[in-house]
Amino acid sequence: MQAFEKELDLHGRAILEEYRSLYPVYERLRELVPQFISRSLKEARVLVTALESRVKTESSLAGKLALKGGKYAGILDITDIVGARVITFYSADVDKIAALIQKIFEVDWENSVDKRKQHSLESFGYMSLHYVCRIRPSLYSDPDCPELNNIRFEVQMRTALQHVWANMYHDTGYKSGLEVPPEHLRTLNRLAGVLELADDEFSRVRAQINDYRRKVHSLVRDGNFDEVSLSGDSFKSYLTLDPFGSLTEKIAAINQAEVQNVSLMPYLSALRMLGCQTIGDVERLRLKYSDLAYRMTVHQIGQTDLDIISSSLALQNICIVCVVVRGGGVYELEKLFESVNGPSPYNATRAEALIAFIDKLKK
Amino acid sequence: MNITINTVGNHHDVVLDGRLDTTNADQFQKDVAPLMEGDAPEIEMDCSGMTYTSSQGLRIFLMLQKSVNARGGHMVMKNMSPQVKEVFDITGFSNIIKIV
Repeated sequence: MQAFEKELDLHGRAILEEYRSLYPVYERLRELVPQFISRSLKEARVLVTALESRVKTESSLAGKLALKGGKYAGILDITDIVGARVITFYSADVDKIAALIQKIFEVDWENSVDKRKQHSLESFGYMSLHYVCRIRPSLYSDPDCPELNNIRFEVQMRTALQHVWANMYHDTGYKSGLEVPPEHLRTLNRLAGVLELADDEFSRVRAQINDYRRKVHSLVRDGNFDEVSLSGDSFKSYLTLDPFGSLTEKIAAINQAEVQNVSLMPYLSALRMLGCQTIGDVERLRLKYSDLAYRMTVHQIGQTDLDIISSSLALQNICIVCVVVRGGGVYELEKLFESVNGPSPYNATRAEALIAFIDKLKK
Repeated sequence: MNITINTVGNHHDVVLDGRLDTTNADQFQKDVAPLMEGDAPEIEMDCSGMTYTSSQGLRIFLMLQKSVNARGGHMVMKNMSPQVKEVFDITGFSNIIKIV
């Protein structure tokens, strides 16, 4: 008999014996529960920082039984032997995940608790949402193991910051077994307040960024290019309109070439370098230099039998002719190549050749 | 087109020599087949002896680059002659393949 068991009364020992006989079922539940949650998160496209599960250890259960064993008639009354924990990035996601958990499992509302709502206006502390659940037979059942649908388990949902606080609190206070002096308890609770504020701010910033993206996307879609600053988001939205598609098609037609699609996002820094501050600036650049860019390309590949091109060729050549027509020299072209493809010993000679070529073309 | 591949672990030193065109592209594709296997390959292609590449050659380099990307590796081409580099530049392939 283990030392912790000796401290239990007969009732406690009987419950511990039930735990041992049910242990294989607990292990199966521990494996199954996160699988169902993970599948549901994936379907709902909710990202979390961690999804973990555990079976309460014998010694931990014995400790619980020693403290309040009389409260339980049998092992099935203890609802947290199997526990899963979902740790989210944002506080708003806790409620989203709670809704998913309600969909997947049968929730025992009487024993579920929202610790977030237990604090008064003046207090801060442990913040987590705990649901006690069962696996619905419609979700999963095994005729050889009906207990899988009877045993309740706990699902805890909290943010990463709430998780950090709970762990720190557990480590410094609860786990040590000694009462935390009031002044330190006050510090821990003040920290909980700070983290709650940080959680709210993260959620608020995310909502604002999403609003900004939606706004940018709709402005670009409606053609209000001058109202949109050039950024990664706005350029991405602009590219969905395929602004360089017609020039690419024209270029491809020169040699009946196959077009290899690549991302044009690396040209964002090049466009900024060319002085574009808004999507309207990019659009004007496109309209102004497309014709010369096309003529340059005809001269470059028209005499060859090259029949494959990159979809970035149109924008690449627009940027090149823009630099040269504006009077830029080898240095400016080298910088352009470097911003798109990185430094290369070839950049200078390529720049020299292109300047001579375009100057001739302009005449 | 001659190709020499020296492999140590996941690092492949490749030396290309000659002209890559429609007459030898099929053979070249077979020659680079070993580079299409294995995790996180690091491929360095010395192109100092390569005198020309046709569209067929570009397609094979592209296929290799995609395969390397998919396996979490890297591929660079180096010591290109100006003529070969021009083919990559005027087709926009300099934006796809890392050339140092």
